[in-house]
Amino acid sequence: MTRRSNGTRGRVASLRASRRGMERLRQLAILAILSIGAIAMILPFEWMIATSLSRAANVGMPLYPRFWPPDPSFFNYMVALTNLPILRFYLNSVIVVGATTVGYLFFSSLTGYAFAKGRFPGRNILFIAFLVTLLVPFEMRMIPLYSLMRDLHLNNTLAALIVPFLVGGFGTFLMRQYITTIPDDLVDAARLDGAGEFAIYRHVILPLCGPVLAALAVINIIWRWNDVVWPLLAVSDRSNYTVTLGLAFAARGSQGIYVGVALATAVLAVLPVVVIYIILQRHIVRGITLTGIKG
Amino acid sequence: MTRVRRYLPWYAFVLPPFALFLLFVIYPTLEAFGLSFSRQVGAEQRFAGLYQYSRLVGDNVFVSALFNTVLLGVAFLVIVIPLSVVLASLINSLARRSTIFKVIYFLPQVTSAVAVAVVFNYVFQPDWGMLNTLLRSAGVDPLPLWLADPRISLTGSRAAATILAVYVGLGYFMLIVLAGLQSISVELYDAAAIDGAGHFQAWRYITLPSLRPTFVFLLITGSIDAMARFSDLWTLGGPGGTPARSLQTIVMYMYQTAFVGFDFNLAAAIAVVFFLIVFGLTLVSFRRLLADGVRRRRVAALGPGLITDRDPDMEAGA
Repeated sequence: MTRRSNGTRGRVASLRASRRGMERLRQLAILAILSIGAIAMILPFEWMIATSLSRAANVGMPLYPRFWPPDPSFFNYMVALTNLPILRFYLNSVIVVGATTVGYLFFSSLTGYAFAKGRFPGRNILFIAFLVTLLVPFEMRMIPLYSLMRDLHLNNTLAALIVPFLVGGFGTFLMRQYITTIPDDLVDAARLDGAGEFAIYRHVILPLCGPVLAALAVINIIWRWNDVVWPLLAVSDRSNYTVTLGLAFAARGSQGIYVGVALATAVLAVLPVVVIYIILQRHIVRGITLTGIKG
Repeated sequence: MTRVRRYLPWYAFVLPPFALFLLFVIYPTLEAFGLSFSRQVGAEQRFAGLYQYSRLVGDNVFVSALFNTVLLGVAFLVIVIPLSVVLASLINSLARRSTIFKVIYFLPQVTSAVAVAVVFNYVFQPDWGMLNTLLRSAGVDPLPLWLADPRISLTGSRAAATILAVYVGLGYFMLIVLAGLQSISVELYDAAAIDGAGHFQAWRYITLPSLRPTFVFLLITGSIDAMARFSDLWTLGGPGGTPARSLQTIVMYMYQTAFVGFDFNLAAAIAVVFFLIVFGLTLVSFRRLLADGVRRRRVAALGPGLITDRDPDMEAGA
């Protein structure tokens, strides 16, 4: 929007100078508004951290806002870590997210390759079957899925959080669309060299899919890490909770009693995600804009 | 023979994943329909036609859950779309790099609705919550009750839930609007400047009309998201949508019916009604996006399905 004000020829120099002054003022005003918004976005997090560092917060909360703990200590964190098997929750989340991401990327790219470059009877019908389920939200099938897990004796295991999410219509569709844009010549040349289909997939297709695989991985990690609906149904034993589910239960249990400890738990649950987000922010933001999908 | 051998690797690629897909996606979906047309008699399921649906029609809790879902969705969209347009326009007209703002505004989306709900449960606490202590410092009296007030009001539980949703969703909406803004050709603005149009006129007559496809996309995917709202409200008030069911959405009622009331058949009927609403919205969005695809190369190149914001799998799952 601003760029067009540049480069108009034949202006009087002084007019130009005053324009530049105006433009600088405008930029400052925009920066100020955006910064106020950014502070508003961060404030609840800051308040959460400050309160989680205050032991006194468990006894009584101040009636006026306090964004710095009067008695900074890690007491609440010690309590949170001994109260709840948070490290166990972490391990569970890492297992679930890791296994689903590996499986999801593998199966999505494999089926995507077959649907994009393969010629075999039934291809279109199978692809349409994958596509149609894009129209069915998870909540629609979660209750029968719960019964199915019970019948398979998978309920209340980590496997129940993994196996339903290894294959999906979205991943297959995304990979198929992307692999379609890879020239057939590349595949044909490898085939002439005597490469089998799996070798082509492994050595020709996969190396070309880097960006889209990264985007898919980021999306899957956010989905699986943050999901609470399905873990709530599928696991009942605390030793199988994910971080997100454990946090939801912990906060509801101690609501209003030990505020400092509850918020320390929240910080422990959120912190790794925030750290990873800050490290990978460029990829995440690009992945969101590329696919239009959020967490 | 050779032909079969040529097909073989493709089937080896596709059929094992398809078996998983059949078991965990297609079968449960069909089963949900089946359950919704049945009733439990003893230990077996018997066909019962539309019996479960007729129970829903007279069910005040279901009707109020549907009302809540729609009200919360509309309130969210009415606030978040204009706000995200303003923020995206500001970021877009910044002369220098703006990554830091994108990262900050998107942060709550990454930390999950549950984590934000946990924090906001305390932020909205009437006596010592962050919001009310700030309002007290500003001299507001009497202080709003937020989550403790189930009435429909600008300071009640639904308002708090809407503030929470806007806080979580703003960054995502902003990023999508920003992508829309950056796809508008600079020549359009150059032409307008030559014709003597000011900032505001350019915004009114070029920016807003060019963003129409983006608005349609956000409106429809945002509605689908809102229909499926569960995690944050469940964290705030349990499956009953405390206080006084004022925050109970249809998915929460579905959950409560199935796992508190143990009526899987009625829950399946709720699931089907939910599906039909979402399906209708999805159909509209696919048609719109297919039409927009002709205009927007990015969409056309990637295919319309990519631009569904609701995670179609898990959340969707599979």
